[in-house]
Amino acid sequence: MGEEFEPKILVFACNWCSYAGADLAGVSRIQYPPNIRIIRVMCSGRVDPLYVLKAFEYGADGVLVTGCHPGDCHYIDGNLKAEDRIRFLKESLKHIGIEPERLRLEWISASEGDKFARVVREMVETVKKLGPNPLKKEG
Amino acid sequence: MSVGSALVIGGGIAGIQAALDLADRGIKVYLVEKSPSIGGRMAQLDKTFPTMDCSICILAPKMNECARHPNIELLTWSEVLSVEGEAGNFTVRILKKPRYVREDLCTGCGICTEKCPKKVPSEFEMGLGMRKAIYMPFPQAVPRVSVIDEENCLYFQKGVCRVCEKFCPAGAIDFEQKPQEIELKVGAIIVATGLVQADPSIESEYGYGRYKNVIASLELERLLSASGPTGGELKRPSDGKHPKRIGFIQCVASRSLKENGYPYCSSVCCMYATKEAMIIMEHDPEAEIYIFYIDLRAFGKGFQEFVNRAKERGVHYIRAKPSKVIEDPETKDLIIRYEDINDKKVKEVRLDLVVLCAALVPTPENKKLAEILGIEVDEYGFFKPLHPLYAPVDSTRPGIFICGYCQGPKDIPESVAQASGAAARAAEIIAKKVVAG
Amino acid sequence: MTEEELRIGVFICHCGINIGGVVRVPEVVEYAKTLPGVVYAADNLYTCSAAGLDAIKKAIKEHRLNRVVVASCTPRTHEPLFRKTCEEAGLNKYLFEMANIREHCSWVHMDDPDRATEKAKDIVRMAVAKARLLEPLDDIEIEVRPEALVIGAGPAGMTAALSLANQGFHVYLVEKEPEVGGMLRKLNRLYPTDRKADELLQQLSNAVYQNSNIEVFTSTKIVDVSGFIGNFEVLVRKDGEERKLEVGTIIVATGAEPLKPTGLYGYGELEGVITQIELEERLKEGRLGTPKAVVMIQCVGSRIPERPYCSRICCATAIKNAILIKQASPQTQVYILYRDLQAYGKEYEEYYRRAQELGVRFISYTLEKPPEVSRGDGGLKVKVYHAVLGRELTLPADLVVLSTPLIPPETNEELSKLLKVPLDRNGFFLEAHVKLRPVDFATDGIYVCGTAHSPKDVPDSIAQAYAAASRASIPMANRRVVAEGIVAEVNKDRCIGCALCVDLCPFKASRIGEDGKAEVIKVLCKGCGVCAASCPQRAITMKNFTDSQILAQVEAAFKG
Repeated sequence: MGEEFEPKILVFACNWCSYAGADLAGVSRIQYPPNIRIIRVMCSGRVDPLYVLKAFEYGADGVLVTGCHPGDCHYIDGNLKAEDRIRFLKESLKHIGIEPERLRLEWISASEGDKFARVVREMVETVKKLGPNPLKKEG
Repeated sequence: MSVGSALVIGGGIAGIQAALDLADRGIKVYLVEKSPSIGGRMAQLDKTFPTMDCSICILAPKMNECARHPNIELLTWSEVLSVEGEAGNFTVRILKKPRYVREDLCTGCGICTEKCPKKVPSEFEMGLGMRKAIYMPFPQAVPRVSVIDEENCLYFQKGVCRVCEKFCPAGAIDFEQKPQEIELKVGAIIVATGLVQADPSIESEYGYGRYKNVIASLELERLLSASGPTGGELKRPSDGKHPKRIGFIQCVASRSLKENGYPYCSSVCCMYATKEAMIIMEHDPEAEIYIFYIDLRAFGKGFQEFVNRAKERGVHYIRAKPSKVIEDPETKDLIIRYEDINDKKVKEVRLDLVVLCAALVPTPENKKLAEILGIEVDEYGFFKPLHPLYAPVDSTRPGIFICGYCQGPKDIPESVAQASGAAARAAEIIAKKVVAG
Repeated sequence: MTEEELRIGVFICHCGINIGGVVRVPEVVEYAKTLPGVVYAADNLYTCSAAGLDAIKKAIKEHRLNRVVVASCTPRTHEPLFRKTCEEAGLNKYLFEMANIREHCSWVHMDDPDRATEKAKDIVRMAVAKARLLEPLDDIEIEVRPEALVIGAGPAGMTAALSLANQGFHVYLVEKEPEVGGMLRKLNRLYPTDRKADELLQQLSNAVYQNSNIEVFTSTKIVDVSGFIGNFEVLVRKDGEERKLEVGTIIVATGAEPLKPTGLYGYGELEGVITQIELEERLKEGRLGTPKAVVMIQCVGSRIPERPYCSRICCATAIKNAILIKQASPQTQVYILYRDLQAYGKEYEEYYRRAQELGVRFISYTLEKPPEVSRGDGGLKVKVYHAVLGRELTLPADLVVLSTPLIPPETNEELSKLLKVPLDRNGFFLEAHVKLRPVDFATDGIYVCGTAHSPKDVPDSIAQAYAAASRASIPMANRRVVAEGIVAEVNKDRCIGCALCVDLCPFKASRIGEDGKAEVIKVLCKGCGVCAASCPQRAITMKNFTDSQILAQVEAAFKG
């Protein structure tokens, strides 16, 4: 049991900015911890609150939603819709016993490979401090 | 009245784009490339500024598109012999050199290369890595067909070996292949023959060729590339150590009135040096980088912002044209001596590796090609536009168009734009077609 | 419909050593074989090579695969290639899914092969989970009208219009000013040949007006744009009268304008401080006279934190005008105060040397120590720190010329909204890909050229105009275009007609039909999925990114 807790974090990345930013982190060989799993969506505005709730139900220790910077959205303002939803979701998480810090929204552009890696590192640190997802069954 | 097809000479990014634009709009294109694969210089680059896209990753899909396009016929390892006729109706003779490997049979499995006993320096790796006498120039080569380099093949030189033939599972090796002449009818011709890097030893005070740790920028691209000879690990040539302190000298043999120098500005060196500096710092955040420049030319879209990012990351830009590079004979480290233009002081800095951003010049074959095509070149070998102001992609002969670096110094997006532009001009001629090609 | 048996093929790429050097590919292949629905798994050295693609095609046929997963690099560059390969083997291209185990795995976890291999397995499992639920989709074929709209009749717009017209397409050339010409109307002579701008203007406008394929609309404003590639409907207004133009493609060539440097270096306060464009006007009208000394200051309002970009044309413009002044009046002292001299390319170094030979003096200054302009004895004086001499100089001047950058016109914002195409951070139009798609927008059928894209000189604008003409000609020459089948679909049984999707759709692709329920206009839908994520009734299915597909990925991420 002495092993350090390695959280598993789900990342939703929009195709045009953040997914490309994650690609750039790779192309630039910027190393970050292997604790994330990325799901590509066309727009951060596609991220249904249900997906986030299901992720926690399945055992995610954290969920990171990433999209284009305001003004850069390929679909004009889908990212702002994502912002509204995440704000609302963070509130609701409290009620089901999940710390809102486990959910994070970040704007990451296609040229911000370094930011992608940094946000992942920070998120892993934050979640490590929080410990495992409280919904995960004991034992 | 025009023949409904076009010839594109040169399979770099400009030639590829011109061919794709024409083919996509329904025009039959013959794409002639003198080397065994299309791809050109862009295939050799690690990344591209200012977006830091992996160069081959964004290029390879376009190369494959050319190979698979029903309207494009690839003629690699081929040269143009003659052009007759006029706009709308040219007759072109092409020489297809023997590959000694049958394109219709080779699967590109690479067993021949594996078994071939003869190693020679790879042109694609700028001589920093080795290839075999039967080879594919680089992993993403298009077409994916091997070629035998006669001058180094043991069978051609000494009459023995034929190991490749023995092992080829497809039976594709054919030592009897002969050069083949092909005649084509085309309505328009687009020339996109690209560039080479000038020999940096033209400015001998920097010690290229004498000092192992003084390299050319195009060599650095290969050393940074994940598919390059060092697997993307930056190692200096003298001892394989990771260089910590790296200097870039700009305008080597360019903006130069010296004998053998080139008076013009190559247009892309400030930016690619900045890009290479950023890549090195991504590999090693501790690296110290010095870029010695006369004028920092960051004039394209998003370029100045890119340079600003490099400055924030800590790249040192020093306004100076160094007078000399001196090698420490023991450590093989290098000392750059320079006068800082901004404070008039003579300074020295000790470095592990020095990169020379030497002039980029048109391919030397342009002069001969210009004679064949009946178009004009300037004193450096760039193809002359019909009018530098309002006819930038028209050559001096109607029906023949020019684009990319062979028309004048420029970067990738400008080459792509000009290539599409040349395609539009060619399409204007071919649109008048009445006879089928 | 009978349930089809799932036959998934998984192809895992070594990418030379790029993946294979970190991730243990054979282990991932073995793992993939254990996943439900997978009937075939194999590795390739380079999946994107001709040999790798042939291997996929062969396996599709031999193993009767009905879903394909490639685990290699990013779908952003390679998905089209693999989809096409599936199609060539007779498989609907939307039955393909990619697992990115290079950019998102081997390249970012180079020092941890064990965890990278585990992660690669997870990524493959997630892709296979989605692949199981993929459905074949049909592309949408659209007819394209062989008519184009070119917005802006400067050198770029006129050139683009001419090239399209010469290729046989009908062109509407719309200009908001009373006359065509754009910036050419204001300029005196053009570098590098010093040809009169009026001559080029005459040459282009004659050609435009004489071409029977071009219809010119001056003093005309774009009021509304609707539709999509192939069938745009554009409402234009001239003298209060509106007219509807129906076109297949649109080229944006709206240009840029020089910054007015109010408040900088005494502009607007000190007499004799003018801009480079005002100098052009004086030279053009022959009313410069013989000033004793002219000082030009470069980078006024550019390459500064608020406006970081270099305007590219100002150094050559200053050199050109300095030479013209020197030629007309050799005794006039001309100084150019610059930061970095942008004499790039083949001709401008030569131009720079010619200016030096004529006696034009170049003094470099730094951003930290900019020159100062003030009133002097009977004129102006400019103080500048001369970096090379290491001291401050005071230059008397009767004319101070400020080289200000080209800036995007304010109208760009409105036009970008009408066309639904983006602007970059500086307010210029933003192309689809900075490197390889310099004149395309991400929106099909709309293209950009000239200074609307970024500051550039006449030859570069003209080259780009030809490029835009080439790109626009492709769909028009084919008379048709194929759009992706990844669009939203409304389940009419569930829809309650609340119209939330109609309000949210940024592309006006959603509307309420006659039955009072929502419907999606397929060709307008860009597939962002915002409507699907917002529908209170879950009545909208975003094809290829359906709820069930994404939730399957979510589940697979955590359940191995």
